[in-house]
Amino acid sequence: IPKRETKKIKHFQEVIKWGTFSLSMYICGIYKKKMSNYTNSPCAACKFLRRKCTSDCVFAPYFPPEEPTKFANVHRIFGASNVSKILQEVAPHQREDAVNSLAYEAEARLTDPVYGCVGAISVLQRQVLRLQRELEETNADLMRYASCLGSETTSAYGGRRG
Amino acid sequence: MSNTKHIHKGLLERFLDLLLIALIIFMTLKGGTSGACAACKYQRRRCAADCPLAPYFPAEQPKLFQNVHRLFGVRSIVKILEKLDETQKPEAMKSIIFQSYVRDRSPVYGCLGVTQQLQYMIWLAEEELKAVNSQLQLYRSQPQNGQNQNQNHNSHNQMIHELGGDNKQQEDVTSQQLDLGMGLNVHNNQSNVVTPFFSPLLPVSETQQPQMSYTYSCSEVNNNGYSPPAYNTDSGKEILTNNNNVWGGQNRFLYNDNNGGGFSNQNQSCHEMKSNNGVMAIQSQLVNLQMASNHQQGEEEEDAHEYDEIHQFLEIIDDRQSFADSKEAYASSSGGSLKEQIDEIGENELRSAATCFSLTSVN
Repeated sequence: IPKRETKKIKHFQEVIKWGTFSLSMYICGIYKKKMSNYTNSPCAACKFLRRKCTSDCVFAPYFPPEEPTKFANVHRIFGASNVSKILQEVAPHQREDAVNSLAYEAEARLTDPVYGCVGAISVLQRQVLRLQRELEETNADLMRYASCLGSETTSAYGGRRG
Repeated sequence: MSNTKHIHKGLLERFLDLLLIALIIFMTLKGGTSGACAACKYQRRRCAADCPLAPYFPAEQPKLFQNVHRLFGVRSIVKILEKLDETQKPEAMKSIIFQSYVRDRSPVYGCLGVTQQLQYMIWLAEEELKAVNSQLQLYRSQPQNGQNQNQNHNSHNQMIHELGGDNKQQEDVTSQQLDLGMGLNVHNNQSNVVTPFFSPLLPVSETQQPQMSYTYSCSEVNNNGYSPPAYNTDSGKEILTNNNNVWGGQNRFLYNDNNGGGFSNQNQSCHEMKSNNGVMAIQSQLVNLQMASNHQQGEEEEDAHEYDEIHQFLEIIDDRQSFADSKEAYASSSGGSLKEQIDEIGENELRSAATCFSLTSVN
């Protein structure tokens, strides 16, 4: 075989090698992308903010795409940047609770722009005070009955002894 | 002539001195950043005469604005204020400041934690009231058989504080030694067990998932309680301070109790959800324990002069972060110690709540 043709064959073989290598890398990349959670649908926060939902999105675990209003409310009242700051200050295992409490407060503030969730606190507190007062009165009645019975018993017992 | 000149010079000097002093005073009062409100100071900008936040954030209390800024942000507050009337603005700002303060104290749960704590206390008080009423009924129904009752009482059928939904039958409360604030019976006569909203016997790790559904669905429940008439400012309720300073004096949140029906629904709904939640109750119990043992914390003293009344109220709501540290320790505690802790809670809770609560004034 002449030398020119062997060179061509070798060159061709190298091209095929690199081609298959790059193709396999590309396929691996696609596969990896498909396996990740965030290419199917972005989280509610990224949908709302119209940005790409990356794998390290702070909001993604706590604002699923099925609950768009949750993030919308939180963003409207507190702002996304404040929420992300709060989340970063809190331990990872408590972030879900923090988000839920923020969602509750945001919804309360939207429902009642003047008092928000503090209104509920105030009403509950009055209820507690009312119940405590009622409990004190009832306990006082109970003590009165108990003392009356006690005095009856002692008098009966004393009479019996005498 | 020279005397008069001397006198005129002296007067002139005095006049100039007075003018200088007046100018200095004027400069310090009006000019520069010393006259700026806390909001403008924090943002390092000039405080205009019509600054919307100036009335609510005095310069002497920078922490107030810091809390609000961290949670809400200036833009959100201004947006909220723009939508309100002039009469509603002070009240809205007070509630915002309070909410921010609570969030600062409890970064994870904030006002939701306070709400749940109060719901727990209401449940506790209602259970105790039921027990006491049943005992009272017993006394009233049998006034002549006093001797028989005494014999029963001597058997000392102690009331057990049942938590976690054990399906025990309601026991007759016949003990004469009914300790106030202790001993509750869970009425399990019905098929639908009205259990408390916590289950402290469950391991902590297992209850993470249900807790999420509880806390978020609570907001839906509260929507039922957020009926407009109760929150209409024309109905005569007030959020007031006795002093001009928002938090320096008696800061009370008053509400007309005309929404009892709405909130009884809320309580019932919360009762239904109660069996799902485990961690919250554990936390609230620990909070009470820590409240009983740790009344004074050094970090509170720094803010004491700023949050006088709030500090009294929020002693009940202990630092949730300290709970996170003690979570593991609690998870390994035995049931026997739990009962002792619960008894201690029952003994101290209502009394301390009565003394610590200061948000509403008792008319």
